[in-house]
Amino acid sequence: MSEMWINMGPQHPMTHGLWNLRVRIDGELILDVDPEMGYLHRGIEKISEDRHYNEVVTLMDRTCYVAGMAWEHLYILGAEKALHITPPERAEYIRTMSEEFQRIASHIMWYAAFVQDLGLMSPFLYGMRDRDLLLDLFQSYTGARMTYEYMRVGGVRNDLPHGFSDRARKVLDWLMERFKEYDQLCMGSDIFRRRCDGLGVLSAQDCIDFGVTGPMLRSAGVARDLRKDRPYSVYGRVDFDVARATTADVTGRYLVRMEEMRQSVRILRQVLDWLDRNPGPVMAENLPRWLGAPYAPIGREGYLLKREYPKGVGFAAIEEPHGEAAVYVVNEGGEHPYRVKFRSPVYVNLSAARKYLVGYHVADIPPIMGSVDVCVGESDR
Amino acid sequence: MTVSLYSVAHDLVALVLTAIGSVLPAPLSRWITNAGLITALGVIVFAAILLIASMLNTIVLIWFERKLLGRFMDRRGAMHVGFAGLLQNFADGLKLMRKNTFRPEEADGLGFYLGPTAYMVTSLILFGILPVSTGWNSGVLPLSLLLALVVFSFAPLFIFISAWSSNNKYSLMGGMRSAAQMIAYEVPLLLSVVAVVVVSGSFDLNTIVAQQQNYWYWGPLFLALIVFVAAMLAEMERIPFDLPEAEAELVEGWNTEYGGMLFAFFMLSDYVRALVGSFLVVLLFLGGWTMPGWVPSAATSFPLAGIVWFMVKVYIVFAVFVWIRAALPRVRTDQLLRVGWNRMIPLALLSVVLAAGVVMVKCLPVFGCLPNLGI
Repeated sequence: MSEMWINMGPQHPMTHGLWNLRVRIDGELILDVDPEMGYLHRGIEKISEDRHYNEVVTLMDRTCYVAGMAWEHLYILGAEKALHITPPERAEYIRTMSEEFQRIASHIMWYAAFVQDLGLMSPFLYGMRDRDLLLDLFQSYTGARMTYEYMRVGGVRNDLPHGFSDRARKVLDWLMERFKEYDQLCMGSDIFRRRCDGLGVLSAQDCIDFGVTGPMLRSAGVARDLRKDRPYSVYGRVDFDVARATTADVTGRYLVRMEEMRQSVRILRQVLDWLDRNPGPVMAENLPRWLGAPYAPIGREGYLLKREYPKGVGFAAIEEPHGEAAVYVVNEGGEHPYRVKFRSPVYVNLSAARKYLVGYHVADIPPIMGSVDVCVGESDR
Repeated sequence: MTVSLYSVAHDLVALVLTAIGSVLPAPLSRWITNAGLITALGVIVFAAILLIASMLNTIVLIWFERKLLGRFMDRRGAMHVGFAGLLQNFADGLKLMRKNTFRPEEADGLGFYLGPTAYMVTSLILFGILPVSTGWNSGVLPLSLLLALVVFSFAPLFIFISAWSSNNKYSLMGGMRSAAQMIAYEVPLLLSVVAVVVVSGSFDLNTIVAQQQNYWYWGPLFLALIVFVAAMLAEMERIPFDLPEAEAELVEGWNTEYGGMLFAFFMLSDYVRALVGSFLVVLLFLGGWTMPGWVPSAATSFPLAGIVWFMVKVYIVFAVFVWIRAALPRVRTDQLLRVGWNRMIPLALLSVVLAAGVVMVKCLPVFGCLPNLGI
């Protein structure tokens, strides 16, 4: 066979979403790649300019459909800074808890998709089964399984239901057992190691040059985690380690994510203990009326009267399951944000595809791209 | 045990034709009760019974895999159509039959339709070659083992034809992989069969099974069994060696462009080959329809006992294949080639040497003595 370009996408089992990886191959060898994104662009940043501050939360769930809570958290942190609002402490703890639950759910989803690309069918269903427990937890306190619309400017929508922390602890215990099983099925399998070791290497220097963040960066040996380096919410008050590997390959990323899930369980146990001990309000007092519930009638003055509210800008960055996400919210005094801009980690991680794909085989594309953990919803926004 | 499927079919045809002939006028009745016609019709009825029974067996096999795979994955498998989903595969087949068969405009018509048809036909021929019990077989073919392996190894050719003619890059890559894979696993497969032939002294499957009356070959030829099963997994294109149709990178490999009934041909043939592969493992290494000594004679003298015993073994072997599928990831092409050339061929050669040793020693402490080969 001579050289040829093949389009892996936009409809292809490897993509896990809607994007196109153009690959130039010679037989089974990859000579060049060209990632094309933008098939799922919904203009979320532009739509946000036309929504009330709390209504943007709805869009955040759709931004990344496997890590909705993390994106809600990111946006709310930025919006609160722009609006000069401080949430109560309990709300911050609940947000941290939600983000960590979401991190585990997102990583399990990644695990399921990743192993299925390698042809492992059983762990895929194990992963989906265990993720379901987390979705049940989300459902019990937000009412939804994927699109939560739970966080609000100034706090969270409602407090946790009765008996939540006991249920959550049971799930965490179950998950810690399952992580062992995951490791047996993957790291214990010789074929898995042969398929993953030394693939998709992206060195620490390359990661930094391309702006690649998250598990990919940590798998290259860089202990960079915004939860540690720039603690937000209550991450400064909980005890955890930054997961790290040194091989910078697919196996390294696998190990980093597995360890991150264990560390998330560790964080969650501390946060749940705090929540049990400290009841209190979950919404800030004296919020401006026009910030009220987005679907409730706001009152005539909310729309008609010129409001007196301080202008400002808010920047926030969090360690999202896929990497470092950032938001910049500009408040020009209106009831809508003037401008919202996001940094998507997946977009940056995908843009470096040429660096970590060229030179490997066609059969290596699914494990390598799987190890990147693509979520097209957030890369295209 | 002298009743065979063919004799049943022959007698059935003879009975029907004699009955018809008795009411017809003289020249016609002589013509219709002609021995040649009875034989010819007997063969056709025999083939029809064989085909229908084998296809039903294949469909039950698919059901078995779906249920077992479901249990491995902590779910139930097909549940709703028929008792425990037994009729699910018929429903799926009907759905595929109703679908439009679609050929890409640029695809080569002849190859596109020839590929799946020939693939299916060559797979079904194997049912006629492989004996299931002393009654359920096509008679004595002195080289039936060789014939079965030859027909079995046709498949990559037709896969390549259908891959090339569908004019799709993914299909072509799948076909290339299939061809490359064939070279790597056919040699160890045949070498491991040579070990069996050396010990049994025959290419006739009936003889090979008859000689396992005293002891099954899996014990002394354990190495050959391992090589044979691994090569058979590649031959059947099941995980971990299903790279020609690796759905993650090649969409569906060589059958990407096929839909409707043509896809059903491929799918069904894959399972026919899985069933036939399990047949071969049982015939060559697990004693075929022979029963161990501790089985009471009341059970062995039952007319269908051989078939039942054979099928139990076949399904146990297939359960191992399903287990492998549930537990292992897919290997890469170069890794399969390396395993084939660097590991399996030396092991297969070693197993041939071991087989020669078994023939020389004749009696092994645990497994008993070889039948007299006249050496």
